[in-house]
Amino acid sequence: MSIVNALLRETKFISKDRSVCFWMAIVISLSALSLGFGLAEVNRQQATIDKLLIVDQEDRAAQIEKQKGWGGAAYYSFHLSYDAPSDFAFAAIGLRDVQAWKHRIRMLALEGQIYERDVGNPSIALVGRFDFAFFCAFIVPLILIILLYDLRSSERNAGRFNLLEASTGQANNLWLLRASLRAGALYLCLIVPLIAAAIIAGTSTGTLILACLFVLAYILFWTALCFVVSAWQKPDAVLLMTLLGIWISTAVIIPAGARLAIDKAVTLPAGSDILMLQREAVNDAWDLPREATMNAFFERHPEWADYQAVEQSFEWQWYYAFQQVGDQKAEALSKAYRDGRLKRDKLASWAALLAPPALLERALQNLANTDIKASIRYEDSVRDYHAELRAFYYPKFFENQAFDKASLEGLPEYKAAK
Amino acid sequence: MKQILLIAAGEWRYWLRSRLALGSAFIFLLLFFVTSVLSSWHIEAQSHSREHHQSEAEDTFLAQPDRHPHRMVHYGHYLFRTAAPLASFDPGLDMVTGQSIFLEGHRQNTVMFAESAASADFGGLSWLSPALIYQLFAPLIIILLAYGSIAREREAAVLAPLMALGVSGHQLIAGKALALLSFILLMLVPLLISSSLALNRGESLNALLLLAGFYFIYLSLWLALSLLASTVFKKRASVLLTLFGLWFGLNLVLPSLAVNAIGSESTAAGKIESDLIMMADLRKLGNGHNASDPAFTKLKADLLAEHGVDNIEELPVNFRGIVAMYSEKKLTKVLNDYANKRMMAELQQEQALVRFGWLSPALAIAAASRAIAGTDLIHYHLFQTQAEAVRFNFVQGLNRAHAEALSYQADINRNKDEDSWKKARVDASNWQVLDEYEFQTAALSERYSNAAQAMRMLLAWLILAIAILFWRGGSIKP
Repeated sequence: MSIVNALLRETKFISKDRSVCFWMAIVISLSALSLGFGLAEVNRQQATIDKLLIVDQEDRAAQIEKQKGWGGAAYYSFHLSYDAPSDFAFAAIGLRDVQAWKHRIRMLALEGQIYERDVGNPSIALVGRFDFAFFCAFIVPLILIILLYDLRSSERNAGRFNLLEASTGQANNLWLLRASLRAGALYLCLIVPLIAAAIIAGTSTGTLILACLFVLAYILFWTALCFVVSAWQKPDAVLLMTLLGIWISTAVIIPAGARLAIDKAVTLPAGSDILMLQREAVNDAWDLPREATMNAFFERHPEWADYQAVEQSFEWQWYYAFQQVGDQKAEALSKAYRDGRLKRDKLASWAALLAPPALLERALQNLANTDIKASIRYEDSVRDYHAELRAFYYPKFFENQAFDKASLEGLPEYKAAK
Repeated sequence: MKQILLIAAGEWRYWLRSRLALGSAFIFLLLFFVTSVLSSWHIEAQSHSREHHQSEAEDTFLAQPDRHPHRMVHYGHYLFRTAAPLASFDPGLDMVTGQSIFLEGHRQNTVMFAESAASADFGGLSWLSPALIYQLFAPLIIILLAYGSIAREREAAVLAPLMALGVSGHQLIAGKALALLSFILLMLVPLLISSSLALNRGESLNALLLLAGFYFIYLSLWLALSLLASTVFKKRASVLLTLFGLWFGLNLVLPSLAVNAIGSESTAAGKIESDLIMMADLRKLGNGHNASDPAFTKLKADLLAEHGVDNIEELPVNFRGIVAMYSEKKLTKVLNDYANKRMMAELQQEQALVRFGWLSPALAIAAASRAIAGTDLIHYHLFQTQAEAVRFNFVQGLNRAHAEALSYQADINRNKDEDSWKKARVDASNWQVLDEYEFQTAALSERYSNAAQAMRMLLAWLILAIAILFWRGGSIKP
C-alpha cells in the first residue's frame, strides 16, 4: 500500500514540476517531428520509385522500338533496379543518404555500372537527418542527464535532503522511484509517437516490439548510469560534466576511434581499381584473339561451348562475352570490396558494444533495413538481376534466334531483395 | 581600466585553481591534437594514393596502341579528386561525396566511391575532425569557464562589497569578458598550428587567418551567451543547465532539423530521374554512331556544299568523324543543361540550409569553415564541372582525329576482314589530347564570398548577444 501511495505522491509531484513537464513536452514534440519527417521522406522515396518505374518503362519501350536485333536491344535498353524503403525506414533513414538505392543497368559489364551513385545532396548526408534513431540514440541521453543528474543534490541544495531521507523508511527507494518515474515518463513520450507512426506506416508488429524493447533497454542503461553518478556527494557542475563526459566518450570519441581502427585494420581495394581492371579487360578484348575471350566465357557457360566464332566481323555474341569476361576478371577485387565492407561492419557491431549510442542507432537501422548489410543485400540483388538479363539474352544470341520484339515483353523484371 | 584588468587577472587565478576548468581544457587540447595528427595523416595518405592513381590513369591512356579513335572515346579516362589543402582541418563534404569519376563519350557518369559508404558505421558524430572539435566542443569549454563568472560572485555574496567599492556592472562584465577573450585567443593557437600544415600544400596564410577569424567570432559568441546566462540567472546550477541545453539544442538538434526541413520542402531530382527526362529530349538529336541517321541530313548537305562535292566519299574529311564531333557537341549541351539544373537545385537546397544559420550559429560556422577550406558543395560541383570539361576536350580531340586522320573508306570497311580492321586505325600520337589534371580550390577571394553570408549571420548573432549583455550588465544587482 505504501508503495502505491508513494507512487501517487511522486507522480503528483512530477506533474507539478515545471521543468520536468517542459522537457517532456520537448521530447514528445521532437519525437513526433522526427517521425513525421521520416514518414514524409519515406513517402517521397517511394513516390520517386513509382515515378521512375513509369518513365523507365517508357524509355525502354522507345529504345526497343528502334531496334532491329537482339544485340542493339540489349545495348540500348536500361533497366531500373531499386531498394524500396522498408516499413520501418521512417524511424531510421540510416545510410540511404550516402548509399545508392537505385540504379539503371544494362547488359554491359556490370562492374562499370553497379558503383554508380545516384544519391541526393551531400550536404544532407553530411549534417545528417533528424530521424527517430538519431534523436533516441544521441539527444535523449542528454535530456535524461538533465532530468536526473541533480536528483539528490537539488534536494540537498534546497535543504530538504535529510528530512526526506529520514521520513522515508528506505531512502534509496525514494530516489529510485523518482528516477524511474522520470525515465518512465520520458520513455512514454518517446514511444507513443513511434507507435502512432508505426500504425500509419503499417510496420510489422515484431519490428515495432523489438524497437520498443531496444529503446527501453537504452533508457534503462542511461537511467542507471545517471542514478549512480547522481549519488556522488559532489557539486552539481561536476556531476553534470561527468555525465556529459560519458556521453561525449560513448557518442563521439569511442566511435571515432573505433571507426579509424577498423578502417585501418580491414583495408579495402580502391574502388577505382575495380573499375580500371574491368575497363582494361573489356578494351583489351577488342585486340585479343577471339578464342581467348570465348574460352574464358565458356568456363562459366559450358552450355554454349559448341558455338563457332566467326572471325573478322563484329558479332554480338563475342561483344557480350567480353563484357562478361570483364566482370569475371574484376570479380575477385569486387568481392574483396564487398566482403571487406561486411567485415568492417561485423567488427563495428562488436565495437559498438562499447558505444551504446552507436549500438542503438545501428540496432534501429538494422530493423529498418537501412544499414550497410541491407545496402549490400541490395547490391547482390542487382547482380542477380543482371545475371537474369544475361540468361534471357544469351540463348537469343547463341541459338541465333530470329529477332522478335514481342518476345522482349518477357524480359525479366527486377524483384526487390529479401 | 585598471579595475577591468584586475578582474580579468582574478578570473585567470580562479581558473588555474579549478580542476574542472583545467582538466577540461587539457582534454580538449589532447583530443584536438590527436584528431589533427590522425586527420592530416589520413589526408596525406589519400592525396598520395589519388595522385598516384591519377598519373597511372594518364599513363595508361597515353600508352594505348594505335587503334580506331572511337574505341578510345569508349576506353575513356579516370579523374581523381585530390583533397584541398585545408581538408585536413575541415574535410567538409569530402567524406560523403565520391572522389573519382569515369569519363567517356556520350555519357556523364556520377562521382563514385564515397568514404562514408564503405567505412565502419558508428553514426555521424564518429566523423570527428579538427573543425568539428572547434564547432562542437570548444563552446563547451567556454561554457564551463564562463558559467560561474558572475553567478559565482553572486552566490558567494561578493557582488555587494564589489559594487560598494565602485565597480560597475559593465566593468565587472568587461573584466570577465577580457579574461575569456584572452582564453579564446589562446584556444585559436592549436587551430593555427594544425592548419599551418596546409601552407606546405599551397594554401595561403590569409586563408588560415580568415578561418581563425571566423572561429574567433563563433567562440566569442558563446562567450557572450555564457556571460549573459551567468548575469541573468541567480543560481550557478541554472546557468549551467541553460547553457547546456542551449549547446545541444543549437549544435545537435537544430542543424539536423534544418536538414529535415530542406529535404522535405525542395526536391532536387536525382541523376537517374533527370537522365530519364533528358533521354526523351535526346531521342530527337539522333544517334552519333549512325551517320545515316535522318538528324544528320542537314549537316551532310551543308558539308557537301561547303566543299563543293557531290557525295561524302569525296570529302577531304571523314564524314563519320564529323558526325561524331557534331553529335557529341549537341549532346554535351543537353547533358550540361541537365547537370547544371541538378547542381543548381542542390545549391539552392544548400543555401536554404545555410539560411537556418540565423537560428543556429553552428550551421553558420560549419558553412563558413567548409567554404574557406574549399570542401563545400560549390567545390564538389567545381570538380564535376572541371571533369566535364576534361571529358569534352579529350572526346572531341579524339573525334577530330577520327575526322582528319582516318579515311572514310578505311572507316566504313573496318569490319570487312582482318586487314581492313587493322587499316581502320590512327596513330597513337593522337592520344595526346589529354591534359594533366589536378583539382584546385577556387581563389581565396571567391571562397571568401561563398562564406560571406554565413559570416554575416555569425556577426549578427554576436552583435545581438553583446547588445543584450551590455543592457543587462548595466542592471546587475547583488
